[in-house]
Amino acid sequence: MLERIWKLLCSLKLTIWLASVATVLTMGGSIVMIKYPKTFGSIDQMTLSEWFSRFGSTRPALSWWLYLSSFAVVLLGINTFCCFIDWLPKFRARWRKSGEYLIHLGFVLLLTAFVWGSAAGARSEGNRLRVGETLDIGHIRPGYTLRLDAFEPTFGPQGRPDDMRSTLALLREGREVRRQTIHLNHPLMAEGLVVLPYSFDQSADGFRFRTAAGTAELRPGSVLPLPGGGLLRVTRFLPDVVRAGDGGIYPRSENLENPAFELELLHPQRDPWRGWYLLRGGLPAPLAAAGIVLEPIEPIGSYASILTVNRDPGAGLAAIGSVLMGTGVLFALASFYYKRARGDRPDIL
Amino acid sequence: MLSLTTVLLPTAFGLYALATGLYLAHLKIRRPGLANTALAVIATGFGLQSVVLVQRWLAAGYLPVTNLFSTLFFFSWALAAVYLYFELRYRIRATGLFVVFLNLLLLAGALPRDPAIKPLIASLDTPLFTLHIVFSFVGYAFFAMAFSLGVLFLLQSRLSTSLLPEPPLLRKLNEESIFLGFTLFTLCMIFGAIWAFVAWGYWFSWNIKSVWSFIVWLFYAGMCHAKFIRRWQGTGYAWLSIAGFAVVLFTYLGIGLLLSSNHPLD
Repeated sequence: MLERIWKLLCSLKLTIWLASVATVLTMGGSIVMIKYPKTFGSIDQMTLSEWFSRFGSTRPALSWWLYLSSFAVVLLGINTFCCFIDWLPKFRARWRKSGEYLIHLGFVLLLTAFVWGSAAGARSEGNRLRVGETLDIGHIRPGYTLRLDAFEPTFGPQGRPDDMRSTLALLREGREVRRQTIHLNHPLMAEGLVVLPYSFDQSADGFRFRTAAGTAELRPGSVLPLPGGGLLRVTRFLPDVVRAGDGGIYPRSENLENPAFELELLHPQRDPWRGWYLLRGGLPAPLAAAGIVLEPIEPIGSYASILTVNRDPGAGLAAIGSVLMGTGVLFALASFYYKRARGDRPDIL
Repeated sequence: MLSLTTVLLPTAFGLYALATGLYLAHLKIRRPGLANTALAVIATGFGLQSVVLVQRWLAAGYLPVTNLFSTLFFFSWALAAVYLYFELRYRIRATGLFVVFLNLLLLAGALPRDPAIKPLIASLDTPLFTLHIVFSFVGYAFFAMAFSLGVLFLLQSRLSTSLLPEPPLLRKLNEESIFLGFTLFTLCMIFGAIWAFVAWGYWFSWNIKSVWSFIVWLFYAGMCHAKFIRRWQGTGYAWLSIAGFAVVLFTYLGIGLLLSSNHPLD
């Protein structure tokens, strides 16, 4: 009985059946993936297990094929592993098949690595980080943070963004464990984490104004001296605000939509004033009355690096699987030409 | 540089067309001189394509296989190389007629397109790109050869003509083509996976191109096993070779041109 089961598990026909089932299911499923981007569009942004729990389990009519296909591929992996185990005791007689069986083992390791990474990995996109800021990535790997020490975008000949270099420090419990400049195709890989540049944006943290004396750049902390000994101090800048029903000013987003400065006017001949200057609403009356000229010219700002932070515990195993598979290919090629030179024909079952 | 492309490539096309004519004549007249001339003509065409490829590579500073023109051109070059491999190894003669004709179609698709080389975008600036591309298209070329051999096997099984090699030889060549295509495509997948990991942070993407590349790999992996099972040998294997190439064509052209993917052709 056990021998029969073992023979079935090692069966070549089972291999072909499983490969065929997985192929046909994935072919059909790929059409479903294209037709339903709301369900499948974010599948690369999370691990497969997270996708199954968030999307797959809630939309079984669209995802059943992926469950079945995954099951078929896992069974194929078991079948492949059994074939490999079955070959091992026959190594001395069939060592020329080493290449083919290394490919088998490589496939099994890659599959195991994928399942492991899908079950225990984590992915996080769109992490915005400005120079000097620290990002807590505890949700990807507890106890770890990232600090951006420098950022430099590079632009192509027509001014299109080309690459972006982020100098990052990876910290564990506040202690630096790796410092590296990353750019496209050169991620930071340490402590089981992979940190990659995804994009960047320029966030406004102030404005350049035309004033009575020329131009001035105002950002939080700036002080503009006024004629007659007065001072205009910037206490806050918000790129997008909304005025509530009670007249209060509240931040709305990080996009440069409705920028506003909170200003403080100190003048020896006037009462102190503190209030908001919404650039789209014009200069507040107390400032105009004080003879202040402020005409917005353009925003001034700093870049933010947008990073992808992933953790794939199976990545190391996948690397071993890749090496074994690549080595297997080279062995199989060498063995193939050796056998062809001897006039061997494939076994016929 | 561009003028060399625009002069040599149509010349190569003309040579492949001439070789097709010579092979057709060889089928009718059966003179060894015709087949030898056809081989020399194809070798010359391949040589011209190689000159263009090397010059474009040197001029660009990277393997310029990034758009529809350059992929069609490179696929055609790889197909010519694969044909020469089989011709020089087995003297298949007019058996390669299908492949040479396919090569003509690929070049005919490339010639009207803009051959200008664009600056390489940073995300493609890695040796992994070159390895991924080379193994992919050479693998595709072997699958195209297997398709041709599969068609010829089916023809020969029905016609039993002396114009074509015996079915056992066609079967042997078909199996060799599938095996070599599969091993090279496996290397393409390995380098692609490594590249995906350093570029995106994961080594398998559910993007439509990646999914279909896995389908191609799985399909041909199944074929490499099917050759050991009697009922799939011969006719069944020939049909599988034809079906497999349809999957390859969809993965290369169908997805690249008709669908949105992370491997756009234009």
